[in-house]
Amino acid sequence: MSGKPKIAVYKLSSCAGCQLEFLNLEPVLLDVVGALDISYFVMAKRDNAPGPYDIGFVEGAVTCGEEIAKLKAARRDCKTLVALGSCACFGGLPSIKNWEPQREVEARVYSELWAIHSTKAYGIDQYVPVDAYLRGCPIDKGELVELIKNCLLGAAPAWRFPAVCTECKIKENVCLLIYENKPCMGPVTAAGCGALCPTYGKPCEGCRGPAHDANAPSLARIFGDLGLNAADVTRYFRKYAGTTPAFQEGAEAL
Amino acid sequence: MAVAKVSERWAAMSLVPKEEVGLLVDGLARHYQVIGPKQKGKAFVLEKLASGQELRLDYQTSILPPRKALIRPRETMFSFHDNQVETVQDAGPQVLFGLHPCDVHALTLLDQVFSLEYEDPYYAARRQQTYVVALNCTTVGENCFCYLMGTGPTLRDGYDLLLTDLGNEYLVEVGSDAGEELLRHLSLRPAPRVRVVEKEKRLDQVRRQFRQQMEVTEMREVLAGSYNHPAWRELAKDCLGCGNCTMVCPTCFCFQVKDQLELDLNHGQRVREWDSCLLWDYSLVALGHNFRPQLETRLKQRLYHKLYYYEDQIGTPGCVGCGRCVTNCPAGIHPLEVVARLKGE
Ligand code: SF4
Ligand code: SF4
Ligand code: SF4
Ligand code: SF4
Ligand code: SF4
Repeated sequence: MSGKPKIAVYKLSSCAGCQLEFLNLEPVLLDVVGALDISYFVMAKRDNAPGPYDIGFVEGAVTCGEEIAKLKAARRDCKTLVALGSCACFGGLPSIKNWEPQREVEARVYSELWAIHSTKAYGIDQYVPVDAYLRGCPIDKGELVELIKNCLLGAAPAWRFPAVCTECKIKENVCLLIYENKPCMGPVTAAGCGALCPTYGKPCEGCRGPAHDANAPSLARIFGDLGLNAADVTRYFRKYAGTTPAFQEGAEAL
Repeated sequence: MAVAKVSERWAAMSLVPKEEVGLLVDGLARHYQVIGPKQKGKAFVLEKLASGQELRLDYQTSILPPRKALIRPRETMFSFHDNQVETVQDAGPQVLFGLHPCDVHALTLLDQVFSLEYEDPYYAARRQQTYVVALNCTTVGENCFCYLMGTGPTLRDGYDLLLTDLGNEYLVEVGSDAGEELLRHLSLRPAPRVRVVEKEKRLDQVRRQFRQQMEVTEMREVLAGSYNHPAWRELAKDCLGCGNCTMVCPTCFCFQVKDQLELDLNHGQRVREWDSCLLWDYSLVALGHNFRPQLETRLKQRLYHKLYYYEDQIGTPGCVGCGRCVTNCPAGIHPLEVVARLKGE
């Protein structure tokens, strides 16, 4: 990359929380702005330059035809395309609607159904090749900065995705699953958030999607032993990443 | 840390009333960082004690083992910039207060591991300034199996000072010159002979609380012939590969090393973090080959290392029977039950 890399931030179906994490990057925000040329970022600035860009960050799940077209244009315009957040990685929260007929889901929210043409919610790699994934709901700012550094270096980030438990233990949290009998998704969810929720006494919700080689059926059985019924267990595994093969196995285990 | 066998030295014994044991901590804290058991929610952790009042010698076990004071879960090895390297060394005199016999054994194992072929300078620097005030166990936790592994519930060596609960006071024994040095900071009263007899009586009662399920030598024999046993596949259906068991194990020593650059791509740090053989990419090497892509082989690696390979490496089993892996395994995997299953029980 000659000069400062040009970046673009796009939004599909999402809550904009992950884009917001860009702006929450203080205390390093100024360094980031110094290292990058933020060319296109509608939420953050008034004047936005047309492509091509070096790095594109796409937030949100794909939930309709217009978004597929927008995503394909983004892919054409960006050398490196990054899925920003769990919605863009594997459908995220919007994907909870995938397990019912779309018309029924639409009818619950909209009255003018003739104007709605939604599809099931998928991550962006359902439609275009993706170069890097930033998981989480929202993304982890540390990982975002790591990725930016790696882009500047031209190297692939050496990320590992063991279970959230590994980070939870390093923080020496009192295990919610063991000591409180609370259904915690930590044993099958990808680390990287620093075990954020368990550190604040809340069971992991699985927002970062499956850990590497996660054994979801075993955790589903453990949840069953805690007294959860099969439908509840299914909801746990479909909350953020039910579209992934690993969590699909968990959702169907009981 | 010069550790001498108690039998080889004059063992001074003194007494400290229970309500004054906190003062002992406060006395030591004037000269050392004192790390000991304190409560955290429904569990206990070994952490720096702000005062003796935080000390909880009635703890059964801690979440993380004492090794965290010698090789930290995450630590910076050195920082670098413009082709210059600055080593980071943060060792200082510390007292590990109230360690149970199993954990003291674990430290003596790690001492060997970290000096076997290469001396680990970070570990060595901290260990040299680490003093151990051990505590014989007078109650047995539900997952404890030290007696079977020969590492507890009482201690013979490896400590600088050793405490035993005698009801309303602790008997304090000296195990090394360093221990004597520690005592010099404190004023204790000498123990009469009857209290020493009382100690042996109490410890005998504790030993009787264990069921002797299996001999260590038998465990080794069972494992020697079980590498391809079908039970492994069944166990791997339950194991989550979450790595909790190794994170909490007092004798695990694996770490990964990585470089972290600042945004200026010029300043950075080399850090190391605890790693685990249960994790998928632990055995991933350059060009993408993975020696243990299946969970089954990773689960085997952990148990074979603890109960078999460790003995080949340093002559003693790598499990000290502390029971932490049992307490912290969401899938309820217990090393002894695994061996029993392999044996066909
Ligand atoms: S609280 Fe959850 S994430 Fe933390 S160790 Fe327990 S199961 Fe794992
Ligand atoms: S603990 Fe779980 S739900 Fe919470 S941020 Fe981390 S991955 Fe997401
Ligand atoms: S044995 Fe238990 S603690 Fe260890 S990785 Fe398997 S499930 Fe996790
Ligand atoms: S294998 Fe389990 S019981 Fe044995 S030392 Fe490690 S944590 Fe303790
Ligand atoms: S395993 Fe033995 S030495 Fe360790 S805490 Fe339990 S009783 Fe004490």
